[in-house]
Amino acid sequence: MEFDDSRKDVVDPEVRAYVSSLVSALGGNGADEDGRYVLGDDALACLRDLKKWLKLYDEKANRLDVARCLAESNLVGGDLLQILAAWPENATADRLKSKIALSCLELLVPLTWPLEKNTEQMTVNHHRHMPYLQIAQLGYKRAVINYDGARILHTAVRCALPSMAEAIGDRSTRDEGIIKLVLYFLRNIVMIAPPPSVQYEGDEAEISRSATIDAFDYQDIFHLLLTVSSSMGEDFNTQDIVVMEILFYLIKGVDVETLFQDDEKAGNVKVDEMVRLRKKEAAMLRSYQSNAPTRHNRFGAMVWLQRDDAKMTTISGQAALTDTARGLAKMDSTKKFKPPRRAIKGDTGPMDFEIPVTLSTQANKHLSAFVEDFLDAGFNPLFNHIRKAIDREAERVLEYHKRQFFYLVSWFLSAERARRKSKKLLVERKSSTADDIDNFALVASVLNQEMFVTLNRAMDSTFENKLWPDLSAAMRCFTQILLTVQEMSESPLEEDQDIAENILNRIFYEEETHDRVASITRTYKDQGFGYLDSCTELTHNYLRILEQYSKQNVDLQVRSRRRVRRKKRSAGEAGGDDSNNDVDDSEGEDEARAEKTTRERKFDFKRFASRFLSQGCIDTFVAFTNYYNDLKPSQLKRSHRFFYRIAFKQEMSVMLFRVDIVALLYKMIKGPEGLDPQASHFKEWDDLVKQLIKKCTRKIQERPELVVELLFSKTNGTAHYLEYGYEKQTVTTK
Amino acid sequence: NANDTGLGIDEEVEVSKNIRVPRVKLDEHRLLSAAGIPKLRRKAKDLKFKGKGHEYSDAARLLAFYQLWLDDLFPKARFLDALAMVEKAGHKRQLQTMRMEWINEGRPKSSVREDS
Repeated sequence: MEFDDSRKDVVDPEVRAYVSSLVSALGGNGADEDGRYVLGDDALACLRDLKKWLKLYDEKANRLDVARCLAESNLVGGDLLQILAAWPENATADRLKSKIALSCLELLVPLTWPLEKNTEQMTVNHHRHMPYLQIAQLGYKRAVINYDGARILHTAVRCALPSMAEAIGDRSTRDEGIIKLVLYFLRNIVMIAPPPSVQYEGDEAEISRSATIDAFDYQDIFHLLLTVSSSMGEDFNTQDIVVMEILFYLIKGVDVETLFQDDEKAGNVKVDEMVRLRKKEAAMLRSYQSNAPTRHNRFGAMVWLQRDDAKMTTISGQAALTDTARGLAKMDSTKKFKPPRRAIKGDTGPMDFEIPVTLSTQANKHLSAFVEDFLDAGFNPLFNHIRKAIDREAERVLEYHKRQFFYLVSWFLSAERARRKSKKLLVERKSSTADDIDNFALVASVLNQEMFVTLNRAMDSTFENKLWPDLSAAMRCFTQILLTVQEMSESPLEEDQDIAENILNRIFYEEETHDRVASITRTYKDQGFGYLDSCTELTHNYLRILEQYSKQNVDLQVRSRRRVRRKKRSAGEAGGDDSNNDVDDSEGEDEARAEKTTRERKFDFKRFASRFLSQGCIDTFVAFTNYYNDLKPSQLKRSHRFFYRIAFKQEMSVMLFRVDIVALLYKMIKGPEGLDPQASHFKEWDDLVKQLIKKCTRKIQERPELVVELLFSKTNGTAHYLEYGYEKQTVTTK
Repeated sequence: NANDTGLGIDEEVEVSKNIRVPRVKLDEHRLLSAAGIPKLRRKAKDLKFKGKGHEYSDAARLLAFYQLWLDDLFPKARFLDALAMVEKAGHKRQLQTMRMEWINEGRPKSSVREDS
């Protein structure tokens, strides 16, 4: 005891004494009551006092001392959860018990509140207590979602049910506060995750995303989320942002594709995955083995490499014996010098959505059921409401909420497309008539003009202010919208086709957006892989979809014109006698006009595509391709198509002739550590690289000055000269 | 004498600064020196390709050509790092004008457009 007192405590001993006496007065497990938890006489007052301590000491003085004391005295696991568990379902009417439950919640919310490392306001105390509290919060989360005796989250929701039952106009401020409290409690529980810097010693599975999702399903939290989001704007108003945060922390990083595989197929995929991975590993080992020494490591071969000017280079090991390329690689690898590098400006906070998460089969099922329900009922009202709040810059919308909003929209749009795909497969397999194909009304709220305005504005401002993770989220959103629109244009429903065509038409002629996408791609530098992934994905799909649009053939246009006319006519018949606008549209004129627009569009697209013909854009895609061994086939396809477009569609392969690019392409095919030759995409890369190298060597012989230019980035002018042998004529186009 | 009594305290101590040897850089001056790009241009005449059907061996030859040249010019850096340095130096004004000159050397002299 003396030792304890003589050592200097991290917390003021008086504070600790007060707080721990309050905690012990709260109640305890009675020995004469079979170990059940018995409330102290003045439990309610104790809870209120603890709340006051947190508020008046910690918050006011900007310390974390009380929170630290409470974590050390095991208040959450030992008292609060036990009290909540002792509030039986059928005693909801008991005023005292519900009051106590609410007070418990009022303590739980500040205790689980995310700890922010805001360097400007952090004091010595923060630095001292934060690591301890982060671990303590993980313990809180584990205790809450794995509590044996009762459904804690469900109990928490029960505290708010009376307030939620009130009509929105009749709710008092206190009611609103209680609803907010519960939602924030849920938000905190979902959000708590081991910080990247800390090694969590307990069982990770107990606090993982899968465990959270399972708990949410078991404790009927998904029902609550569905109810609140589907009646957003009617029964609920200011809760939209909190619900969005809950959704964000629930789904971030989850792969949409795996979410919508049915069980049987998922099992197959898992087996296939195993086989595939084993194959990949075998291929990797094979490539190592073919380069590995065939004798023991002290065999001591040494090779002289004869250089010009009577110079020699010595290379040790057997590598150089067989192959000059490997000898040179060995020579290179022994060099020690490393140029100074700048750190990557990525984001690794709780807001980072790039880190992939794998779910257990059970959690997968629960989450996909929830996502389907959410898309059916909650998507439009919730996201429409939030978009309006963002546009009017409501007070509750913080800076980082925009990122969450765009990420969620992109995620749910891709989920909707994945669901359609799996549904389509199901219909085909059952060979039943696909009569009940639903239209895209379920996600219509994010395809309107207002959304485009919001998105464009966000992309503009984040690009200008260099907020890369936010820009990355916005780009993902834009990509998903584009993909959805494209799918809409292939829908059998005429209405969908009409809408899609309108949207595409608008995007096609928006020069501002073209410029923005091109300059984002051009200016990539050290923003991390996630950003690189989203910006190459956007560029790829943007180019692809606009190209398809520009290629729309004549009769498709004639058909759409006819459709418009028919609609007009029927509207005219309904409206009365404004049939004079039909006169100028005759069938014969239609085709001529359609032909003209297709020609114009082709020209426009060419002009647009040439924006991506700069060294900056190519460098971005090269940087992306450098990760080739970790990329998925779809991602590799992206850069393949881009290089193909540059070299053969726009006929500026000179832009790709740079030594580092040639080295990368060579390494991808010929190794060491190249692409797996058995992979499906190997063939197309092989073809592309072969074509490019052939062109390159031919060009060098044609124009010897290219030997120097092969070292440097080229401007479009020199590249054009090197490609065609004459200066580009600068025709002033409008 | 005075030096003995003062125990050498009054003597002026000379502080000699050990100036570090400046770091060797792969910059535009090094590139424009005789061992730099001029040598590359000279050696390029010996570079022969086999053409169709031998794409990868051609590429290996091309890469080895550059690697050996860079190893002579700037031995301490690895190939890809050195390439990045060269590329960066290529944005310098001096080098850009030289690059333009080299390109113009290969241009046909009797061009109509050149007069205008």
